Amino acid sequence: MPEPAKSTSAAAPSWIVIFGEAARRFLLRPEATALAAVVVLFAVFSILSPALFPTKLTYISVMSVAAELGIVSIGVTLLMIGGHFDLSVGSVLGLTSYIVVALMRDHGVPPILAAPAAIIGGALLGALNGVVVVRFKIHSFVVTLGSMLIWRGVLISLTGGFPMMVSISPAFRGIMAGPFLSGFRMSMLWFFAIAIAGTFLQQRTRFGNWVQAAGQNPQAARNLGVPVGRIAIALFALAGALAAVAGVIQVARFSSVDALRGEGMALQAVAVTVIGGTLLTGGYGSVIGTVLGAITFAMIQVGLVLVGAPGHFFQTLTGLIVVGAVILNTDVAGRMLRSRPLRGFHRSSEAADAAILAAAARRESRDVEEADPQGRIGAADRGERAKP
Amino acid sequence: MSGPARSGGERNYSGDREAGIVDLHKQPRPIEPVAPDAVPVMEAISISKAFGPTTALVEVSLKAYAGRILALLGDNGAGKSTLIKILAGVFRPDGGELRFRGETIAFADPAEARRLGIATVFQDLAVCELLSITRNVVLGREPLKGFGPFRWFDLKRAEAMTRAAFEGLGVRWERGLDERGLNISGGERQSLAIARAMFFGSSLLILDEPTSALAVRQASRVLDHIAFARDQGQAVMLITHNFRHALSVADDITVLAQGRVAAHFRRDQIELEQLTELVARVA
Repeated sequence: MPEPAKSTSAAAPSWIVIFGEAARRFLLRPEATALAAVVVLFAVFSILSPALFPTKLTYISVMSVAAELGIVSIGVTLLMIGGHFDLSVGSVLGLTSYIVVALMRDHGVPPILAAPAAIIGGALLGALNGVVVVRFKIHSFVVTLGSMLIWRGVLISLTGGFPMMVSISPAFRGIMAGPFLSGFRMSMLWFFAIAIAGTFLQQRTRFGNWVQAAGQNPQAARNLGVPVGRIAIALFALAGALAAVAGVIQVARFSSVDALRGEGMALQAVAVTVIGGTLLTGGYGSVIGTVLGAITFAMIQVGLVLVGAPGHFFQTLTGLIVVGAVILNTDVAGRMLRSRPLRGFHRSSEAADAAILAAAARRESRDVEEADPQGRIGAADRGERAKP
Repeated sequence: MSGPARSGGERNYSGDREAGIVDLHKQPRPIEPVAPDAVPVMEAISISKAFGPTTALVEVSLKAYAGRILALLGDNGAGKSTLIKILAGVFRPDGGELRFRGETIAFADPAEARRLGIATVFQDLAVCELLSITRNVVLGREPLKGFGPFRWFDLKRAEAMTRAAFEGLGVRWERGLDERGLNISGGERQSLAIARAMFFGSSLLILDEPTSALAVRQASRVLDHIAFARDQGQAVMLITHNFRHALSVADDITVLAQGRVAAHFRRDQIELEQLTELVARVA
């Protein structure tokens, strides 16, 4: 790449252009909508319920709701980026919760073995979806709709429809869902850890690149040697495994499993994923967006209770936000994706990076120059900072 | 939100979206006859293929040499796409033989053909629209760093590879490499696919209708790139139904009609009128 200096230093872009370009780049991120939703909802609930909403207790409860839903949603997000749906994650969550409870209660298996067993079980249930989708070339929506009903039926017959209690050791509860630093639950820590791992997987690994390619243009990806079928199966297994992780967390929290555990979670996870900026058509999305989407979802749930709204508001408001997010994500994001760097950036993103950094550096060095009239520090600094 | 972005000035690209590519050099090249001792990179001998009652190919033979462009001309249904799918390992022929560098081969699957460096570029399948240019170029061959099971995508090296790939095609990519696939033109997509195939060491480059959906300027740009690839010693098979395009770059021309080879000749042995008439007659 030639030096970007030609287009930046020759005619330094105006502040408006620099600001516009920075805004354009922010809007290019799939997370933009979800971040906006979080900020707006936080402001609205804080105004409506200033005494209750912006408090630590609320944050703890929002994050607790967000963590369990969010962990499930991260699996659904990666799968959706890869071009598939999984409606069975809620049932898989319920069934794997049952596995944990049954192993611990009826067979005396210690939790340190029961939890991984359930997660492996979840991965297998997910992989089964994937194999059917790939082998028989049936749309994942239909396949997982079927497996959702099947596993739910199995769970109801296994539990007999009644809640099953199990005694949970404090250590197990502490690790999975107990309070840690200043009252937040451990599940939040797991949520963030999985989100970081998921983001890394998507952005910085070969697998992640293949997932995006397979979700957008499977034929082109296959043509270049990407094992599209195996990627789909791996993604389904991952979605199942993450549903099981959330199941284990819920068992640790409630000391029980019941026939309706995880019911409705699959559609919530799809909603969270869509709010987070992942395209339903696949190929494009963000795990960070899903984290923000889960927080949005949890904030609505907790916030509406705190402002004393009737229960049905939750569904209505969630629905409105989902539709709004999809409109923003497909329409606005679609336009932004087609947009080009503003004038003065010569269509080179490196030049734009340099200009934005240089503008930031100028601003800093101006502060320095006020303290250092000769400009010794500033001048020496400027050249360095202009280059990323 | 995008207000200042929109009104801040005209959108910063000219009507000619091809301006993103700058040729570093190009040179014309006379056609020479194939050296008598040259071994074709790929040779098809009496290939036949039928799908149930439908005969697709009947004893088709052709040879693709390094440093030469073989144009495969024919109308719709002439058997062109069946033939390239056989060469790419997607279909297995019912009869006949494939030879790769003189040795008989039978592809079990497309992956095997790919391993031998047979790169097929399909019209619509050149790029993933939402991936960046860099990620598109290295797709399937992502450079990794790290060690053991802890290996991750090396974005810096991927960008260097992408630049090198374009330079290998004698062009420079002037725009950002993080530009997404949907922002580049049809011609650029084909050029990207050709650059990618060459960079990753293709032995035979099969181009399926690379110019059919392109405007004149873009098409001629892509044809330049195909010629450049040939001049680098690449064996190229150009599938097209555009006689003009075939005549402008090909060294050898094979005309397929109704699953058979209707004619084969060197490019300088025929004129456009003759070719048009020939294809019209046999089709």
